[in-house]
Amino acid sequence: RIMPVRWSRYNPSYLEPEVKKESYQKPLEELTEEEREQMELKAVQPIKAAPPTLSSSVFSDPMISKFTNMMMKSGNKVLARSLMSQTLEAIKRKQLEKYHKAPENEKETIECNPYVIFHQALKNCQPIIGLSNITKGGKTYQVPVPLTDNRKRFLAMKWLITECRENKHRRTMMAEKLCQELLLAFNNEGPVIKRKHVLHKMAEANRAYAHFRWW
Amino acid sequence: AVGRVLRLCRRWGAAPRAQMLRLICTTTAVQKKNVGASGPEKYTEAFIKKQIEEFNLGKRHLANMMGEDPETFTQEDIDRAIAYLFPSGLFDKQARPMMKHPTEVFPEQRKIQWGEDGRPFHFLFYTGKQSYYSLMHETYEKFLNVLKHQDQLVAEDLPLQKEKRNLAGSRWLTKIELEEMLLEKLSDDDYSRFIQLLQKLVALPCADIEENYIQKFSKKVPVQLQKVVIEPLKYNEQGVAFSTGEGKRKTARATAIVYDNGTGKITVNGTDILHYFPVLQDREQLLFPFQFLGRIGKHDMVCTVSGGGRSAQAGAIRLASAKALRSFVTEKEMEFMRQAGLLTVDPRVKERKKPGQEGPRRKFTWKKR
Repeated sequence: RIMPVRWSRYNPSYLEPEVKKESYQKPLEELTEEEREQMELKAVQPIKAAPPTLSSSVFSDPMISKFTNMMMKSGNKVLARSLMSQTLEAIKRKQLEKYHKAPENEKETIECNPYVIFHQALKNCQPIIGLSNITKGGKTYQVPVPLTDNRKRFLAMKWLITECRENKHRRTMMAEKLCQELLLAFNNEGPVIKRKHVLHKMAEANRAYAHFRWW
Repeated sequence: AVGRVLRLCRRWGAAPRAQMLRLICTTTAVQKKNVGASGPEKYTEAFIKKQIEEFNLGKRHLANMMGEDPETFTQEDIDRAIAYLFPSGLFDKQARPMMKHPTEVFPEQRKIQWGEDGRPFHFLFYTGKQSYYSLMHETYEKFLNVLKHQDQLVAEDLPLQKEKRNLAGSRWLTKIELEEMLLEKLSDDDYSRFIQLLQKLVALPCADIEENYIQKFSKKVPVQLQKVVIEPLKYNEQGVAFSTGEGKRKTARATAIVYDNGTGKITVNGTDILHYFPVLQDREQLLFPFQFLGRIGKHDMVCTVSGGGRSAQAGAIRLASAKALRSFVTEKEMEFMRQAGLLTVDPRVKERKKPGQEGPRRKFTWKKR
């Protein structure tokens, strides 16, 4: 079930658009029963318009768009997008430097694709369990609680951005700072990973209160 | 009629996944208030009977007045006669004078549920929602029936019927329609449980036995596949095929002319797109329909756009070009374009500022004193 975001100008019966070209190129025989049913249903339901950030080109990635939106301040999407592209460029440059300096046997282990590095770094930063404040008998306890996928991704991105904005030297550019953070997170080092481990330890420490959760 | 409904913010349930649904576009079915479940009868049967007699008498008088035959005087004739005799300029149609059959004016209400000795008639009366629980029991009985039938067929080694029910053309009753049917107030949770049970019942292979029962709770959705007329290709002087399309987004309006046998050049308001849209995102949006269909270098485009901002103009041109490309493309590809969201007009506009607030959502700074 799709959860409507508060309210929207669309009627609730409108479905999300499917932009990827591959999903429309499968021949009829390969589809399973469920997919066929879904196709039939989709043919009758109205569909929302694709948002301006979404496109079927190979360069549009939903995670990158989400991250760009979170970096954006006061609606300045142009600046946020340029920062993002500068970050990816910086990652590529650093990795290529390493690649050319490395000896022959290590050349294959070095990852040069900035998108792969970005996705892996985000995955490494995602916490598995979170804490939630539950008030019982007048006292507020920090109770360990499972997190949904969306929440994990949001926390990972938020931590990366706040880390870059606050704990770095004032004169460095955001692209550089982000690039450093992403490379550290890719190798499971760095302050963001440390923050994730701290959260996990707190959750482990508060294991005793886990039964306070009722959902 | 399409109207706006703001459902009041419901109390958050225990689960964090509770949602706040506020519908903007609704139909009249969702708007009506259910009067029938508000309590036991407010008017007696005798009263209703008298009202019906008066209505029929009044109908005959009206027919006489209009000079028509009293026997064949339909409700539409009554409405026309009343509109003629009592013309009203009131805006709200429901405030104008009307003459309707008493069963429409006085909605059906629940009769008193207990006899003279105080004992209730229904065995589930003390649950509080007797019709809802009896309905759930009935549906579950049908479910067990179907399972039994299935087991019988499996025991006799007969194949299970696998005729798929066409889900596309029907919908379940809404909560308000169900409340009207049961004459009892329901909560959202109750309603969703009932719908889940119905879906489980329908999902069984041998559910065709209980088709009659299930049809009581489903309604046909008028399939509004607006068959859009695809315009045929036009040919200009050089014999090159072209087609036009119009698009809009927020306040921007755009017209696009897509030519065949082109090199992929796109001109906007006389300038090249590289000069008109310096931002990469806008150019990506312009190329989106072509890239989706795989026709990037094959068409030329000339567009005019006015109004709106940079992103709105890009969106308007995208819609215009998608509409123009419909003439070049097969029906299947057109369906794919629609499912990719290229052919829908984006209804999102700037929300108005409300009085007492600084913006559409932002409230004024709260000061303690």
